[in-house]
Amino acid sequence: MARVEARPLARPPMHSFPSSQARRVRLAIVLAALVVAHVVGWQMAKINIPALIVGLPNMRHIVLGLLQPDAFEPIRDVTKVESELTILPAGSPVPAESGRRTVGTPGGPQATVQPAQVRPGQPVYVQGSGWPAGKKGEVLLAASYGGRPRSAGAFTVAPDGTINHAFYAPASEGAFDLVVQVVTPRFGWRPTETLLLSLRLMVETLFLALMGTSLAIVFTLPLSFLGARNLMGKTRVGRAIYYVTRTVFNLLRSIEVVIIVTIMAVVVGIGSFAGVLAIVVHSIGALGKLYSEAIESIDPGPIEAISATGAHPLQVIRYAVVPQVIPEFLSFTLYRMDINVRMSTIVGLVGGGGIGFILTQYINLLQWNQAGTAIWLIAIAVTAIDYLSAWLREKIV
Amino acid sequence: MHSSPFTLHFEQPVLEVRGLTKIFPGGTRALDDVSVSVPDGQFVVVIGLSGAGKSTFLRCINRLLEPTSGRVILDGEEVTAASLKRLRQIRRQIGMIFQQFNLIKRESVLINVLAGALGSAHLLHSLIGYWPKADVERAMANLERVGIAEKAFQRADTLSGGQQQRVAIARTLMQEPRLLLADEPVASLDPATSHSVMRYVEQINREDGITVICNLHFLSLARRYADRVLAFRAGQLVADLPPEAIDGAKFREIYGEDAVEVEVA
Ligand SMILES: Nc1ncnc2c1ncn2[C@@H]1O[C@H](COP(=O)(O)OP(=O)(O)OP(=O)(O)O)[C@@H](O)[C@H]1O
Ligand SMILES: [Mg+2]
Repeated sequence: MARVEARPLARPPMHSFPSSQARRVRLAIVLAALVVAHVVGWQMAKINIPALIVGLPNMRHIVLGLLQPDAFEPIRDVTKVESELTILPAGSPVPAESGRRTVGTPGGPQATVQPAQVRPGQPVYVQGSGWPAGKKGEVLLAASYGGRPRSAGAFTVAPDGTINHAFYAPASEGAFDLVVQVVTPRFGWRPTETLLLSLRLMVETLFLALMGTSLAIVFTLPLSFLGARNLMGKTRVGRAIYYVTRTVFNLLRSIEVVIIVTIMAVVVGIGSFAGVLAIVVHSIGALGKLYSEAIESIDPGPIEAISATGAHPLQVIRYAVVPQVIPEFLSFTLYRMDINVRMSTIVGLVGGGGIGFILTQYINLLQWNQAGTAIWLIAIAVTAIDYLSAWLREKIV
Repeated sequence: MHSSPFTLHFEQPVLEVRGLTKIFPGGTRALDDVSVSVPDGQFVVVIGLSGAGKSTFLRCINRLLEPTSGRVILDGEEVTAASLKRLRQIRRQIGMIFQQFNLIKRESVLINVLAGALGSAHLLHSLIGYWPKADVERAMANLERVGIAEKAFQRADTLSGGQQQRVAIARTLMQEPRLLLADEPVASLDPATSHSVMRYVEQINREDGITVICNLHFLSLARRYADRVLAFRAGQLVADLPPEAIDGAKFREIYGEDAVEVEVA
């Protein structure tokens, strides 16, 4: 053949100009559309930077709550007796029997309050015996219908265990609980009620996640085989089942757990069970997809070999498929358990029980220290499960 | 001996293949009207270029692949007409070993051998992994036969290639098959190991009278082990002859003009 004319690999200049211009116009349109979308979006989303700056100090409640969670209190010996005191309206006649009232256990701490009915400004005498010698004590008055107790003076227990205290009745009439108590601090700390309650609910939450995951596995294990193309794709009916199964998995997976909880709460009522059901439903979709894909990625050789021996399809699954997918199934399941622990703390926020439920209550009641306790527990538990799951997965693979 | 003129006419062939054709969905005619009759106890070696249809031929016999048309008859029964349930019973009569061994890698050697008895095992028992003592003893005996009884409790994927293929042979022995299909059983093994594995195949052919149809890449192996050689080219059976009849001309006919024979030690 004749010599080939050497020609540069030139791009035709007349051609590149309009195409690059068209591209530039397209880029400009896309950019303009993005700018418009963000301007509209800024308004639609009601973005308000000043509100963020002005409101930021409100965070201090939460920060302080997190810094001082209601978790531990010093251990104290409290010796106390409770009596009553009625403060009459000012100027009312003193009843003939203004009375005295003795409370407590004979031999143990005892206190006599005299008189039991009193007018504002009149002295009230508190005497007693059987108290820890030399310790400091306090008399407290609290309105019977509730409210913060207020101090009615401090005293020191005499060496023989007796107390002798007097105070003037305050100018607020009504029925009061009168508490005489001696508080002795001891070395050590103990968990508070809040911590114990939060712990119990955290454990409940972990079990909620466990049950959600386990029940999901029960349904997903058999279903995932129906959603594996390499097992089902051989016949027309099989392919139909495959598509239906995969579609169901995708649907379940696409609905957020929080939405399912609200639906389930309507069905079975607010509480942990609604949370479990929601996690089950969502996990079937998520695990089903992962399981099915694990089955699809196995080596087909053993399936052929076992089928060729004349084995039943169930035997083929048991001997050729299951051993191949076990490590992946375990790994996916641990991963799911990890996610579900996180989910189960969320479901409580919308009526699914567990620690999330008590956390919303604390926040609504502005009990920041208690909220801090719950948040700390969630963080610790989720992190621990996260590490545990990762560690176990590493062991398996 | 098996092809003696006196018995040939009276003895029913183990395998009878008539007009077997396989056309893949893409349109590839992988098997084109193949007919062949295999008498009892014969060691048949199938040769041909890569893509000639050797694997397709074996897979259509036990219907791992559904033939497009044609008939496969085993011991007088039409395999191609059998229901799926009946097909499973027929498959128990047909052992198969593969180039990639196809063992259950994460299971023990023993379980792999026992898997050969799945077709005759109690369904529920086998599903929960319970094996009768008799089966376990038979499995150990078969492992003994292929010389790796001491590996019984090792994981299958810890064995060498040659050992894995011997496990696969022990697995088919559990079936006590009439026919053994071997799809390039030594193609991933070195020459020395190839011979050791082929000798076990030969042994079960001679001692147990199991008919063997074996795909091989190397003509030298075919010459050494075959009673009869079938040559495929583009899905067609182009030669059916005793191994010693393959001379240079035949070789070029099968493998093409440019092919050069390679020896395996
Ligand atoms: N599942 C399949 N789908 C489509 N075509 C296939 C399929 N399996 C095999 N074929 C084609 O059928 C023809 C025969 O393939 P086959 O595997 O039987 O050849 P072979 O002789 O075993 O080759 P090799 O020596 O490489 O194993 C080839 O052209 C191959 O591409
Ligand atoms: Mg092949």
